[in-house]
Amino acid sequence: MSEDAVRLIPADEGSWRLEAYLRRGGYEAARKAVMSMAPADVITEVRKAGLRGRGGAGFPAGLKWSFVPQGGAGPKYLCVNADEGEPGTFKDRAILVRNPHQLIEGMTIAAFGVGIRKAFIYVRGEYGRIAGRLREAIAEAEDEGFLGGGIFGSGFDLEVIVHLGAGAYICGEETALLESIEGRRGQPRLKPPFPAVVGLFRAPTAINNVETLANVPLIIGRGADWFLGRGLPKDGGTRLFGVSGAVRRPGLYELPMGTQLRTIIEIHAGGPPEGVAIKAVIPGGLSAPALRPDELDVTMDFDALARAGSMLGSAGIIVIGDKIPILDVLKVMARFYAHESCGQCTPCRIGTSWIHKTVMRIGEGQGRASDLDHILRLADGMKGRTLCPMGDAAALPVQALVTKFRDELEKAVAR
Amino acid sequence: MSEVKMVGLTIDGRTVRAAEGTNVLQAAEQAGISIPHFCYHPAFEAEGNCRLCLVEIEGLPKLDSACSTVVREGMIVRTSTAPVLEARKDVLEFLLAEHPLDCPICDKAGECKLQDYYDRHGLFPGWFLEAKEKRQKKISIGKGLLLDRERCILCTRCVRYLRKVTGTGELGVFERGVRAEVGTYDDAPIDNNYSGNLVDICPVGAITDTDFRFKTRAWFLEKRPTVCPRCSRGCAVIVESVSGYPLEEGERRVFRIRAGENPAVNGYWICDFGRAGRRDIDEGRQERVIKSASPESELSWQKALADVMARIRSVPGPERAAKVAVILNSRMTREELTLAKRLFAEGLSLDKIFFADPKPGAADGFLLTEERVPNARGVLQAGFSPRLPDLDALAASVEVLLVFGSHLLDHFSEEAVSRALAKIPSKFLFSAHTGPLDRLAEIVFPLAVSAEKSGTYINIDGLRQSFGRAAEPAPGVVSEHEILGCLAAGLGLNVGEHDVR
Amino acid sequence: MSYAPSAAAVKKIDGIIAPYPEKSAALLPVLRVVQDELGCVPPEAETWVAAKLGIQPIRIREVLSFYTMFRRRPAGKTIIQVCRNLSCTLAGAEDIIGFLKERLHVGPDGTTPDGRITLVTVECLGHCDHSPCLQIDGIDHGPVTRDGVAALLEELRAHE
Repeated sequence: MSEDAVRLIPADEGSWRLEAYLRRGGYEAARKAVMSMAPADVITEVRKAGLRGRGGAGFPAGLKWSFVPQGGAGPKYLCVNADEGEPGTFKDRAILVRNPHQLIEGMTIAAFGVGIRKAFIYVRGEYGRIAGRLREAIAEAEDEGFLGGGIFGSGFDLEVIVHLGAGAYICGEETALLESIEGRRGQPRLKPPFPAVVGLFRAPTAINNVETLANVPLIIGRGADWFLGRGLPKDGGTRLFGVSGAVRRPGLYELPMGTQLRTIIEIHAGGPPEGVAIKAVIPGGLSAPALRPDELDVTMDFDALARAGSMLGSAGIIVIGDKIPILDVLKVMARFYAHESCGQCTPCRIGTSWIHKTVMRIGEGQGRASDLDHILRLADGMKGRTLCPMGDAAALPVQALVTKFRDELEKAVAR
Repeated sequence: MSEVKMVGLTIDGRTVRAAEGTNVLQAAEQAGISIPHFCYHPAFEAEGNCRLCLVEIEGLPKLDSACSTVVREGMIVRTSTAPVLEARKDVLEFLLAEHPLDCPICDKAGECKLQDYYDRHGLFPGWFLEAKEKRQKKISIGKGLLLDRERCILCTRCVRYLRKVTGTGELGVFERGVRAEVGTYDDAPIDNNYSGNLVDICPVGAITDTDFRFKTRAWFLEKRPTVCPRCSRGCAVIVESVSGYPLEEGERRVFRIRAGENPAVNGYWICDFGRAGRRDIDEGRQERVIKSASPESELSWQKALADVMARIRSVPGPERAAKVAVILNSRMTREELTLAKRLFAEGLSLDKIFFADPKPGAADGFLLTEERVPNARGVLQAGFSPRLPDLDALAASVEVLLVFGSHLLDHFSEEAVSRALAKIPSKFLFSAHTGPLDRLAEIVFPLAVSAEKSGTYINIDGLRQSFGRAAEPAPGVVSEHEILGCLAAGLGLNVGEHDVR
Repeated sequence: MSYAPSAAAVKKIDGIIAPYPEKSAALLPVLRVVQDELGCVPPEAETWVAAKLGIQPIRIREVLSFYTMFRRRPAGKTIIQVCRNLSCTLAGAEDIIGFLKERLHVGPDGTTPDGRITLVTVECLGHCDHSPCLQIDGIDHGPVTRDGVAALLEELRAHE
């Protein structure tokens, strides 16, 4: 029980229900914040805890909140990014399914800290049924006075609206998400202005990932030091590591930030099945550049993976076994980004499609000697030049595969 | 008025000062450094989708779009470093991968930004080995406009224009990724009075106008500015014509009128009604002097004008006020009106000076005004009190009538005008276009249209706008200015012609 | 043809619109209600939604064609979405897709000849620890095998 109280994915029976959450000490942190803390202190505490965004970019959450202008008469919004679309990622789903109240409590604290009275949870369309459970949790919390008007009998209100997406990976990008909530195509906006200043309905907006917010009650309830102690000095807390692909026990593992990648794969997920060796590992969702088997002794945290030429991203670990041709992986990757490019800006719209066409041609046995260099050049043409981070997300993993598995791909091209 | 705050920055080593809020692309332009771009248009907020205007901004880890970056004090911008040039080349390469190379039959060739930028910043060996997307190439989107989706580079200027300028929103972007395409909603074509601007702002040949399509090549066009004469707004327009090659020797055709830029009047836009003024210049013109007594004979306007003078002289001075009448119009330039005032009102002491203009139309709430003449303010400033003639009174007393323009028929039936004119012994018509009045006049003089003249109009807001000749005059035509000057000289009246300009 | 949703749907739609500061923002969830009722969002429904939200129909077409879960044309009563992204591909998704196509005899539009079932392939359902996975009318299944899929199809038939 005591361990469940600090886990993002608790194991107790009916863990998603309010009564179970209350048994785990739920809503005490929100009560503490709303009833006894100054909003600025909430932000300070979260900043001290080194809570970095769990969506992919790893931006410090407290710092992000601090960019939202204080006070002001106009509305401000909180948007929860539950558009978990990064292939290989299923952690936010688990929070929504097993622990929705902890997200709601985290939202309440964040909204109180930033001075927000209206929040939207953007849930990807494919999680339609899961959103139903989330709505039930919101209703439960409202009934108990943990949400809605006069939370805990204070003067603080928070209205929460669940907004369902409809099938578009790009809506996980925060400004595309705002467009989508506003009822438009999910096409990312130019930054600056940043959403903290000009966001949803042109108002200052805080946008955070589900897992990020679900950590907030732990920080407020137990303190920044306690939280830091569960992770790394500048990168606090645990992380939900999703493991899929060629392992014996695919699943979600909640471990300290900075756990060794090899440990997660070999120990927690049981390593590859009998007779399979690891060929490559994608450490942070499909957009994270793949690592070779000799690169797995890396700690799973934002900085270490960046140094290793990859990224922690969404911490969705995909293990690729040696029975799978790398070309098949490349095909999936190329198809995915071409399918999900919003089409707004030139390099991504045409670059993803061009790479896809070339990879498919190689797959049809029509490869040319120059194709791999062309793919690398196309990726270069997208990298750092697109309107939103999707250009990099599409270019980097493709480049990594082509560079690291060049020999195998050369053979496929020559076939 | 509050002082505009200026910001100092460095672009390519040059110190540049730009007003606060200016974007880097504009600031560079003002300093004479042009940064290539497709999607940016100064009339709309930056969209940043084409990615061609990427520049280096010191302190930023990546290239950033110049159109969307606002100038800051001390900012250091570089627009032609190796990474910038590389990025430009790549963007052009991406666009050309999916762009058809049908330049030989594309109306835009010669004035296409994709062509121009490729020539300036591209010039790479092509290695796109894949199949280009097949798309519809000839979609009618309303008002004579055609959309070619293969040529479209998705800059969305057209979509934004219809949302932000006309507010009509007929175009949208459908699908996504490489399949993204611009289009109208089912059977809801573009239907507003400003559709022609879409052709002007399309940086490539994706939106073309059937009125221009396949008619000539852009490089033959001679482009000259003038002021639109079709209403009293006084919009800046560019008249685009060809004189001689590749047409027949001596032939002149106006192929297109496009929007000119004038921040004080029309910004970047003109209405379709004004744009259609092309036909006023090129179609239905009086081609020569026609004397009804000898319609076949070739007659110079100078010679024919002698007849007019003789008729006027034949009326004794004191009787002219009652027996000679003129009908002018508000399309005449300010200079011509002054001349007319001195000649007819002061020199000849005529009482019967009337005006016949096109009937007012509905204003459209944007640029098009009710007045379908360009110079109603000029008429007042010249000292006229414009009024329509009373046809019966005219018929009863007048012996010599000079009619400038053919807009009597906008106010009176052809039958009524015929009946009245039949009673007037001498009547002369000065008109740019053929019409039913022709047969009623003793002599018809072919007049120049506004684009063939220079002069000044005073617009609805009292703004004086002088303009030069925007198209070579059609062969044989003569301006009111020349007619009035000649009449004055011939009648021995000093109208101080040289000081009216 | 004009369209008017059922009274229940209208009530639901009004409830959806209410909390949004701008009613046009409710477009995605409103389209979902319409699609749940009609199986797709045909042009006449676009017109109705446009009027309801005070926007032009073209804005609705833009949105419908952007998001993969919206359909402009009717599909089968049952929708089977099979994931074919990386984790599922590694676990044999293509085999499952091939098996489903063969069993269902779906045409090029993915719909069975009797019009009952539509098969679509999708990119990542966020169920990667259960790959290969698929979703039938919103309910996730995984990891699935050929036998498991055959059993699910049997169950679908039994429920008809």
